[in-house]
Amino acid sequence: MTDRPDRETDLQLMERIGWHQIKAVEDRAMKRNFWKAFAFMSPAIVLVCGLLLMPVVYNIYFSFTKWKKFAGLDEFAGFSNYAKLPGNPYFDTAFYNTAIWVAASVVFPLAIGFGLAVFLRGVAFGNVFKNIIFLPRILAPTAVAVIWFHVYAPHGVLNSLLALVAGQPVDIGWLYQDNTVTPAIIATFVWQSVGLVMVLVLLGLSAIPKDPLEAARVDGATNSQTFWHIVMPLLMPTLVVVTILSVLSGFTTFDLLWVMGVAYPGQRTLSLAVFMYFESFQKGSWAFGSAIAVIIGIVVFSVTWIQTVMQNRVDKMTR
Amino acid sequence: MNFKTKLLSLAFAGLMSASVVSAYAAEVTLVHDKAFWAEALQKVGDAATKATGVPMKQNAYSPPEQYKAYMQSSIAANDPPDIFTWWTGGVYEELIKTGAIAELDDVWAEMIKSGEFSEGVRDFYKVGDHVYGVPLHLSRWIVLYNKADYAKAGISEPKTWAEFVSNAEKLKAAGITPFVATTQDGWRGFIWFEEIMLRTNPEAYMGLHTGKVAYDSEPVRNAFKIWADWYAKGYFSDPRSTEEVADFAKGKGSMNLIGDWAIGLVEKAGMKPGADFDAFIMPNMDAALPSSTILEGGPIMLSKKGLAKPEVVNALKYFVSIDGANVWAAASGNSLGNSKANPPNVIVKKISDDVAAMKTVAFPRWWEAVPADLQGEMVAELNRFMLTPTMETAESVMANTQKLNAAYWAEKQ
Repeated sequence: MTDRPDRETDLQLMERIGWHQIKAVEDRAMKRNFWKAFAFMSPAIVLVCGLLLMPVVYNIYFSFTKWKKFAGLDEFAGFSNYAKLPGNPYFDTAFYNTAIWVAASVVFPLAIGFGLAVFLRGVAFGNVFKNIIFLPRILAPTAVAVIWFHVYAPHGVLNSLLALVAGQPVDIGWLYQDNTVTPAIIATFVWQSVGLVMVLVLLGLSAIPKDPLEAARVDGATNSQTFWHIVMPLLMPTLVVVTILSVLSGFTTFDLLWVMGVAYPGQRTLSLAVFMYFESFQKGSWAFGSAIAVIIGIVVFSVTWIQTVMQNRVDKMTR
Repeated sequence: MNFKTKLLSLAFAGLMSASVVSAYAAEVTLVHDKAFWAEALQKVGDAATKATGVPMKQNAYSPPEQYKAYMQSSIAANDPPDIFTWWTGGVYEELIKTGAIAELDDVWAEMIKSGEFSEGVRDFYKVGDHVYGVPLHLSRWIVLYNKADYAKAGISEPKTWAEFVSNAEKLKAAGITPFVATTQDGWRGFIWFEEIMLRTNPEAYMGLHTGKVAYDSEPVRNAFKIWADWYAKGYFSDPRSTEEVADFAKGKGSMNLIGDWAIGLVEKAGMKPGADFDAFIMPNMDAALPSSTILEGGPIMLSKKGLAKPEVVNALKYFVSIDGANVWAAASGNSLGNSKANPPNVIVKKISDDVAAMKTVAFPRWWEAVPADLQGEMVAELNRFMLTPTMETAESVMANTQKLNAAYWAEKQ
């Protein structure tokens, strides 16, 4: 029992126990904690603002200027750099190629990485295989591109192996022909990225609780039913994350296309990122290149936002 | 801390700062994009340090796109390097138009007065009434040939176009591929195009660079016909190879059309200049035309800020002096056009003598002469022809390049 007088309101009670003083003490503590927290966070804030946000803001600003080569940084151009994009044949081609690249970089690594993760779970020497498959991921993309450039060379490893199988010389210019250059570079991308997908899926699989699986088995569910109705829904958040990472990676891939496509004279290797680099660094059209970068940013942001919304829905469904 | 200690500390700090500042101020740094010559440039820098007493260092930015980006941003920020290398042609004029580049008329006056450089070399670096660069290297584009192959085919250096074509025919008949071809690094597609244009119609070749001659005009078509015909006859090695110099050294092609800067690289690949390989200037199709070569001349330039520093000007003067040119020639195999310096090798000496005897005139390289905005897309088209060298491809290459060319010049008007 409390000795609270009859008809005392909450406000009166708070006045009686001196809530102003309590609040002042709490406010002071909060303020002190805020500055402490701010002090701890400041290195990260400086890094994020200085290395991430500032360049993004500057890039957006540049895209509204006439900056080309040595001049025009201080001249306002409005939306003229953006107006040049629709109908530009290189932009259209780059957009189309990027769409193909993104689709391929989602579908193939996901399908193969998922398959490998399921297959290698519990297999003897599974860890050895997992390490071998993950190994390419630790290499720099440029190094990977140089290695595979030589693998695909007319007198390279791949043609030599094919010649052994065919019993006659094979002289395919994998990186010089319209019909082979994209699949060849995508294969390299898959080779490098499949390890990460496999590891993420393995983590997702190991996080699935055993209870529903055992319950399904007790209820007489087949392996296929268990997989599709228990494993897949519980794995869905992981798959959404993997998809987002793959989409981002697909949109921003530059190194492989630039290095492996150096001697290819056509436009199959022209992605949006390559187009941006070409306009900026080779032609010195910095403002136009910045506009392309902004467009890439908007597209990537939109796609990942849609995926995040989907992930939230999936999370709600699986709860 | 007592007053005396404080005073001593301040004095020490002041001395240290002064020495650091003075050391920094007196150091000369040559900024460039030629990482493959970094060691050779440093050798000249070391020699310059000994000669002038001011430390000279080199700082390489690579690849060229990054270097151009650095230069563009440093000039936009009004802080260009004191001394740096660049290219001739359109990009040279673009840089000069910024107003940040120093005129080197006085330096050139001394260079010509010494009798070490000709006015012709000076004019190569002239824009309007002023000179803005001194040579880092002056390279003529010549045909290197394998002497053993020539002996095997029973042929000698060609003096006429007919002899040149006949040599290729005889080499092919002897089972030797006459010419090295490559699309290495993506930029080499223009080499044979420019040379065939120059040999068949030098006037049209020059007209290409100013928009006066179309890329789908008859002179260009004729050049493509010759080029395609030689491919059809099997005169070229596989253009997909990425080892041009090694291909020549390994005998995959008997003749290599390249700048004389490659002689040192061929030597490194195992062939001895003069003994295993030699060179000649490609003859013109029309014997009545004057002898000519493509001349590539990378310049060293100063910013206005650099010109105001005596140590920077002294470093530049050392580079083009007889001593500097000799160190550079020995280290890199390049000539910078100092007529009193030692030639870097016997082949450059021989070609220089031929140039003097034949009164050979110099033409700019397509790469520098073509508008910078068109370089990348056009050379990709020329590479495309090399990978599928038929007249059908040539027609589409001509159409595409002319479309780019016409759009560029229309925008300029």
